Amino acid sequence: MSLVPLMILPLLGAIGVAVFPGRRAKWIALGVSTATFLYSVVLAMAFDHWHDGGFAFASDPPVGWLDEFGITLNMGADSVSMFLVLLTTLLMPLCIWGSFTAIRERIKEYFAWMLGIEAAMIGVFIARDLIFFYVCFEFTLIPMYFLIAIWGSTNRAKACIKFFLFTFTGSMVALAGFLYIAWQHAALPGGEWTFDIARLTTFAATGLSATEQAWVLLALMTGFAVKVPLFPVHTWLPLAHTEAPTAGSVILAAVLLKLGTYGLFRFVLPMVPEAVVEYAPVIAVISIIGILYAGLICWVQEDIKRLIAYSSVSHLGFCVLGLFALNPLGVQGSVLYMINHGLSTGALFFLVGMIYERYHTREMSKLGGLAKRMPVWAFFMVFFVLASVGLPGLNGFISEFLCLIGAFTASADNAAYPGVLGPWYAAAAALGMIIAAMYLLIMTGKVVFGPLKEPAATNNSHGAKLPADLTFREIGVLVPLAVLCLYIGFQPKPLTDALEGPITQVLAVYPETVRQHLAENAPAIDELDRVILTMTETDSDRNKGADDG
Amino acid sequence: MLGSFAATILPIVVSSESAVVDVPVAQATDAFGWAALILWLPALSTVLCGLCAVMKVKSKLPGWITVGLLGTSFLLTLALFFSYEYENPVIIHALQWLNISWNGEGETVQFIANFALYVDSLTLLWMLFVTGLGTLIALYATEYMEVDVGKGYTRFFAGISVFLFAMSALVLGDNLVMLYLGWEGVGFASYWLIGYYYKKPSAVAAAKKAFIVNRIGDFGLALGIYFIWHNFGTVEYRVLFEALNAGGYSTETAGWSVRAIPYLLMLGAFGKSAQLPLYVWLPDAMEGPTPVSALIHAATMVTAGVYLIARMYPVMLLDEYALPIVAWIGGLTALLAATIGMAQYDIKRIFAYSTISQLGYMFLGLGVLTSFGAAYHVFTHAFFKAVLFLTAGAVMHGFAGQLDLRKVSGLRHMPGWRIVSWTMFYGCLCLAGFPLITNGFYSKDEIIAQAFITPGFGFVALGVIGLITALFTAYYAFRVWFRVCAGPVHFEPGDDHHNGEHGGGEFHPHAPRLVINLVLVVITIGAIASIFLGDWVLRGVGDSTAVYPSPHAEGDGFWANPHRWMPWVASAAGIGGILLAWYFHLANRSAAERMKNALLANGLTRWLPTAMENKWYVDELYHATVRAPLWILGHFLNLFDRYVVDMFLVDGIAKLPRALARTFQPLQNGILQSYAVSMAGGLALVAVLVVLMPQFVEWVRSVMGGAG
Repeated sequence: MSLVPLMILPLLGAIGVAVFPGRRAKWIALGVSTATFLYSVVLAMAFDHWHDGGFAFASDPPVGWLDEFGITLNMGADSVSMFLVLLTTLLMPLCIWGSFTAIRERIKEYFAWMLGIEAAMIGVFIARDLIFFYVCFEFTLIPMYFLIAIWGSTNRAKACIKFFLFTFTGSMVALAGFLYIAWQHAALPGGEWTFDIARLTTFAATGLSATEQAWVLLALMTGFAVKVPLFPVHTWLPLAHTEAPTAGSVILAAVLLKLGTYGLFRFVLPMVPEAVVEYAPVIAVISIIGILYAGLICWVQEDIKRLIAYSSVSHLGFCVLGLFALNPLGVQGSVLYMINHGLSTGALFFLVGMIYERYHTREMSKLGGLAKRMPVWAFFMVFFVLASVGLPGLNGFISEFLCLIGAFTASADNAAYPGVLGPWYAAAAALGMIIAAMYLLIMTGKVVFGPLKEPAATNNSHGAKLPADLTFREIGVLVPLAVLCLYIGFQPKPLTDALEGPITQVLAVYPETVRQHLAENAPAIDELDRVILTMTETDSDRNKGADDG
Repeated sequence: MLGSFAATILPIVVSSESAVVDVPVAQATDAFGWAALILWLPALSTVLCGLCAVMKVKSKLPGWITVGLLGTSFLLTLALFFSYEYENPVIIHALQWLNISWNGEGETVQFIANFALYVDSLTLLWMLFVTGLGTLIALYATEYMEVDVGKGYTRFFAGISVFLFAMSALVLGDNLVMLYLGWEGVGFASYWLIGYYYKKPSAVAAAKKAFIVNRIGDFGLALGIYFIWHNFGTVEYRVLFEALNAGGYSTETAGWSVRAIPYLLMLGAFGKSAQLPLYVWLPDAMEGPTPVSALIHAATMVTAGVYLIARMYPVMLLDEYALPIVAWIGGLTALLAATIGMAQYDIKRIFAYSTISQLGYMFLGLGVLTSFGAAYHVFTHAFFKAVLFLTAGAVMHGFAGQLDLRKVSGLRHMPGWRIVSWTMFYGCLCLAGFPLITNGFYSKDEIIAQAFITPGFGFVALGVIGLITALFTAYYAFRVWFRVCAGPVHFEPGDDHHNGEHGGGEFHPHAPRLVINLVLVVITIGAIASIFLGDWVLRGVGDSTAVYPSPHAEGDGFWANPHRWMPWVASAAGIGGILLAWYFHLANRSAAERMKNALLANGLTRWLPTAMENKWYVDELYHATVRAPLWILGHFLNLFDRYVVDMFLVDGIAKLPRALARTFQPLQNGILQSYAVSMAGGLALVAVLVVLMPQFVEWVRSVMGGAG
């Protein structure tokens, strides 16, 4: 088996769509993306590293690209990659199917770009060469740029430029960080140029000094934090989401944001452990600010799509927090969060798009009580809102719970996996649970329930001829996502089992690194311990006093 | 300073040498595999109701499916009860859920939270009335909800099924994460069913409020679970209680992260069980259909907080101030809710405040170390409060949504209303704690008497508060009955009359038919039966994690032992309340109005009736202190994000290159010579850079990494 068809199929499909007559474009695109999905399922069945965290389907022998710099086109997938590839290949046919009526002009181009972005996103997840990774990472920008620029809403010109420049600038800095590692590796006595991820990871973790690691961390974080996005470099996201066409928003939320967190998991954590331990509290605080800040902003949004966009900023804060807990529970939660957020928020964007197609508005003040007009839509809306809120039994809960419990137990006194966060971080982040319930349920209360309120005579004015409630096609788009949300909510074990291997490997260096870090910073810790000790002593003294008296 | 002050005025309730008594710990078994069906049948019922919705079934089928499956679940619970042996709690495995393992210092560490059932007497006690009343109330609803057949009928029964599934998971779960699943699950079912009339803005607002206020409690519960995992390395009851039994934890040795646990669990319990300061959602929850109010917001779900504290009793003892605080919160809530209940006119709201007040008694019981009293009151309250709500529902059903007690009178003289009137009468007697023949008399006395015995800060005052509340309770309960059921026949239809099936013609109340009457009678018989089940509950609590020896009275003389004089005093309070209600609301109805007017006329007392009617302005207080500031903060952050972060910082930085370009713009002046000069200059710069590159690199390395 080979991973190559995963990228080749959509690329060929994109060319095919561009070449064949326009009327068939959507069907070709749907067929190709479905074939890619089926191929990825076959790959998943043939995948034999579900339990040990190894990489399968590696290019053997290595496929050269620019040999003098050791740049290759090597691919490989471990279980984390496999899950994210499956998420991508599953969502793409749904996005394409979901765009059948929404896209009415320049259809061929649209579907060609959709397939193009699929190839790029898959490339990111399966690349085993840094430059290959980076090229795919950047290439995702181009199709998305055009998707927003051509098929976006009124403010699309500003949105697409901001989206492109913002993330491009960020990832340039990340590239500088990567190049520095490769250069240092080449500069070793007897070293050679290579961009092989495995080799560079091993080298960076051991060969870079603490200061160098800190700088590399800063560079990589700059790139990935923009993509995630973390506060305060998130402002491209609400704009891009609001202006993008529905499928664009879905891809953006479900997969493109995960490129950032995937980058953190794949590169930042294993490459610069010392710096990560040093700065994890800072990153965690930034994540928590993002959770609460974006959550409160969600509360006062008028535009449903903008609200969901900000909720992504809030939600991904949990994801990053779990990652920097540096223990198995937190990282498990974080990787699951990538998948779960993709499913539930992707579906929410679909649902908003369905409303927009019918009413041409996303303003909450103009909509209300749609449950009466569209009961099926209302069912799915409430379902995915609850998944997003983290209702136990649905997928969101699993990841949120694990991220929080991971951050909570990431304290110095955790025997197996000491960490640098702790209860206070988790407690602050958990306030996000309450805020999420507030903004999502208030939105649901306004739009789904209450007396019916619709903008006058806008339905079907676009010639889409959509019935009041969802069509078979629209239900078909939502059902697979709903089924997966429910399945993961009740049966997370297959996923957590499969993720154990890669996570253990990524975390292998951490207990020791953290212990060293704690030992070096011992005086401060002792001081804290002393304070707590005095507090408890006073407590028990008080008890004794009371007993005597 | 403060510490020693606290030590002198706060007697220690929990002896500090061995805070934790041995609790029975369950063992895993395969023998009761079928018991997992108790959990799965309601889930199946949800799925089938969902199918009915997809197939657009326009009959009572979903109702009968639900009743059938819940009834089977109840029968299985009975079977489990009869095959259960005392002192042998069991764990029954159902499904793997969260189960993550990793290597920690050579040994495998596991985070385990599976779907598994922990069955002891406490579980069985709760499950028996949850599934039993659940079935009966679902049966009642098949008639009550019949006007909605083909509209919301399926949605309603799917919600009831989801609720039963979640509640079973909450009670049966063998670990705290599964309890949390049930905990949020019942909150969601409650959201679903309160918002059943989703076109009504007040119902939607109430549903939202219930979920969000509950989330505040859930926040505490979640943190409590994290703390338990952090300290004990498990969330499973079995392992947790083993650790507590073996570890010799005491209030002396426990650190702050252990001492925090009881308070966090308490926050969760107060949210779900509508206690101060989180009770505000429950009165609004009456927007839901009445069977929902009876089942979820009176008999079962709201007792989940009591269950949590009882289940976690050994954990609650880890801090010596925790249970006294539970007692005080319970006592104060009981009193506050009773005062509000006396001044309301909406029958369902009165019963809602009464539920809050009775739940207060249960927490008072837990706090003064009679977990038996609390559990018994949960059990008796479930029956009589279900009766009261279901009769209120029958009135609402029959009088087109009329719930104002001033607008319906003399019900017992109307044809077809006899069963409703007299079952409500018995329910009111139970609530008032009428001596000897009512179950409420026995369970409430147990709690109030214990408050006088257990040493603790101000527990005697709590006992007195309990007695005063008992008087208030009897008054407001019979205020309803004397107004609605007794007196001259007189009625006005409610709002549903105009848009309902009657089409605005002359109004005729329709009396309940067979099913509603049958259910009322059966639950009333259950209430009577529960009088005799006190010893059984006592034995059950002793066989569970809630076991704790209640302190005994010092003497055995009549006045030395509150358990002996309490029946007389409490009965006197109850009968006094009934007599007051009789005077003001039957014998001399205008007197109540006159008294209120007199209070209003006097400048000094004007605030009292106004504040009571307006529920002490607690909603307004929360709005002003929590919601409004947060809302303003949200708006501020929104503007901050748009103008400071995005426009000023991001766009500002983005404008830098353009500004830079403007600086160099004069260079492009179109004069050939100047281009040549700049070209030469540029070349020179490049040459210098190329020559100096190695030095530059060295410099960068020395700056960045030293040895690198």
